[in-house]
Amino acid sequence: MNGFLTYVPIILMGVWNTLILSTAGFLLATLLGLLMAFTEVFSPKPISIVTDWVARVLRGIPLLLALLLVFYGLPRLGIALPNIASAIIGITIVDSGYQAQLFRGAIEGVGGRQLEAAYSIGLSKWGAFRHVIAPQAFRAALPGWLNEFTIVLKDSSIAYAIGVTELFTQAVHVAQVVLDYLQPLILVSIVYFSICYPLSIISERARRRLLAMGVAAV
Amino acid sequence: MSFDKLLDLAYSYGGLLFNGLLVSFYLTALSYLIGFTLGVLISIARTYGVRFVKAVCQAFVELTRGTPMLVQLFLIYYVLPRVGLALDPLSAAIIAIGLNSAAYQSEYLRASISSISYSQWEAALSIGLTKLQAVREVILPQSIRVAIPALANELIYLFKYSSIAYFITVPELMYVSKFVGSRTFLYVEIYSIIAVIYVAFSIAATEAFKFIEKRTSIPGLRISTRL
Amino acid sequence: MGAVLEVSNLWKFFGKSPVLRGVSFSVGEGEAKVILGPSGAGKSTLLRCINLLIKPDRGSIILDGEEVTAPGVNAARVRSKIGFVFQHFNLFNHLTALENVMLGLIKVKGMNKDDAFKVARESLLSVGISEDLWNKYPAQLSGGQQQRVAIARAIAMSPRLVLFDEPTSALDPELIWEVLGVMEKLSREGMTMIVVTHELGFAMKVADEVVFMDSGAVVERGSPEEVILRPRNERVRRFMERMQYVYSLK
Ligand SMILES: Nc1ncnc2c1ncn2[C@@H]1O[C@H](COP(=O)(O)OP(=O)(O)OP(=O)(O)O)[C@@H](O)[C@H]1O
Ligand SMILES: [Mg+2]
Repeated sequence: MNGFLTYVPIILMGVWNTLILSTAGFLLATLLGLLMAFTEVFSPKPISIVTDWVARVLRGIPLLLALLLVFYGLPRLGIALPNIASAIIGITIVDSGYQAQLFRGAIEGVGGRQLEAAYSIGLSKWGAFRHVIAPQAFRAALPGWLNEFTIVLKDSSIAYAIGVTELFTQAVHVAQVVLDYLQPLILVSIVYFSICYPLSIISERARRRLLAMGVAAV
Repeated sequence: MSFDKLLDLAYSYGGLLFNGLLVSFYLTALSYLIGFTLGVLISIARTYGVRFVKAVCQAFVELTRGTPMLVQLFLIYYVLPRVGLALDPLSAAIIAIGLNSAAYQSEYLRASISSISYSQWEAALSIGLTKLQAVREVILPQSIRVAIPALANELIYLFKYSSIAYFITVPELMYVSKFVGSRTFLYVEIYSIIAVIYVAFSIAATEAFKFIEKRTSIPGLRISTRL
Repeated sequence: MGAVLEVSNLWKFFGKSPVLRGVSFSVGEGEAKVILGPSGAGKSTLLRCINLLIKPDRGSIILDGEEVTAPGVNAARVRSKIGFVFQHFNLFNHLTALENVMLGLIKVKGMNKDDAFKVARESLLSVGISEDLWNKYPAQLSGGQQQRVAIARAIAMSPRLVLFDEPTSALDPELIWEVLGVMEKLSREGMTMIVVTHELGFAMKVADEVVFMDSGAVVERGSPEEVILRPRNERVRRFMERMQYVYSLK
């Protein structure tokens, strides 16, 4: 052994930052994503088109680039934030584009026939949304939403680029000290995997369950 | 930023940035090809293979999808040399991203294979095709078409993810921008410019693929995907 | 006696439940055999066994004197000698009508494109699919047209025998006759065939023998007049009464 074991706790401490980073970024992206999706579906054409393009632009930016832009850009605007806050902002920006797409697909996927049926029993536009479209759309979005979180969690490792002391960064630092990348990388792989794999199984189960209910997940 | 400064930048570093873009394209294209080839093989193995092969492929796919691409990249670049497989940064990136993409592409293809109904398989056998022929002539041509949207998306993803090769000093677009930034201290400007480049290519590619999708769709047919 | 097909004592289980229970019959050269029976009787399973799409658990199937259920038999070769027409047509979605017919000729029979085209053309014309439809994809054709292309695909291989599994059940009423017409013509031209159908009129007109199956076994067989109009078995009589209600105006 090369003293790696003594460093295990140091690496594992990075889990907290990884979780804070990915959960905060992800949930903020959910808020923004929902907002954009609703705007795209329910507002007048011009606004809808503009929002769609905003989301497309956000989806086009690599996360690494977004992180660096925020990291170097905010100070230029006179805003000084801790690295982890920059990372959260970067993740939120990029992921909101993806989540907008997810939620929009879910809402549109419920489809005109359900809407027709809702109107046919006398529901108003809002009533149709609230009682027919929304319940189905949220269910349809659930598997993809869980999946999206695993993507964000894994990609939060890219925050290494701006020095956030999350899981991956810690692993690399330890690797440089103990002069061995294998053990630290395997250790963090196990951590990432043991969060992502169960989530992906839950997501897949939900997808199957929904399919059995006649709801096609996006 | 003033226009002069921009011209200056373009004059001094335009060539370098352009080369970086080419490396990004190269990296994306090669890793995508690796991913597609392995993806097809894995999806077939996981659908039609014997139990052992299925298990090995599944393990590969789940492990790959359950861990960050960045970890995989570092494993290949920093750990493989210890077993005598020292790769230059570009090759390491191509292989790491390619293997990662193989896992995802195999999943898209597997979903599309299972969306092709069993009756197509029966019909293929009923005219006397062998199982191999049935896969090649009937199942694959249809399932690849079904998977085209997902496979196209994957290419765009890879173009963006190719930026992580930056971490192992591959001179692709991100890395050369960082270099230019450190020379000029115009980080925000440079990064904004390449953000435009990434976004432009992503959106252009999305549109191009929509077009291709329309052209390659089977007239009159709608097959819905998802396992 | 040169029977084209001999099925003897065929058993098939799904899990513990027997779906075929000792089915035996033989089909002579040029014969049209119609199989009737209620849903779940095992008719589709029987046809799939004959085409080796599923493996029977017991019994034997002999095609042209060769036991095809024997171990080590090349299933693809056997299938190429038996046509199969499915209830839901099962045309290859990604191929045009013409390509659907040509695929087996090229890949199984090893013909070159030109020869395959000639055979496919004959075959398509014989089922009344005219040239303007050859380059259409299945999803662009009506159900009746699709089923006729499927028949063309089967007969283009010059099979010894064609199996039809409820070929008209998925069709709109007005389209049924065009498919039945093609099948009747095929039979008159001497094609050996086994037809699972509920079309009693077709059975009366075309069948050389009618076999009635229930719960995986043959319960009655005979000429169409005997089985359809004067069934001896109580179960068959009830079935026929219901069919008369559905299909006749009286
Ligand atoms: N792959 C299978 N696995 C389990 N059971 C099956 C399978 N295929 C058929 N069965 C069962 O075997 C029985 C016979 O089925 P089969 O499809 O042969 O009937 P059929 O006479 O063709 O009926 P139908 O008129 O509905 O087509 C049914 O009870 C069916 O549920
Ligand atoms: Mg049946």
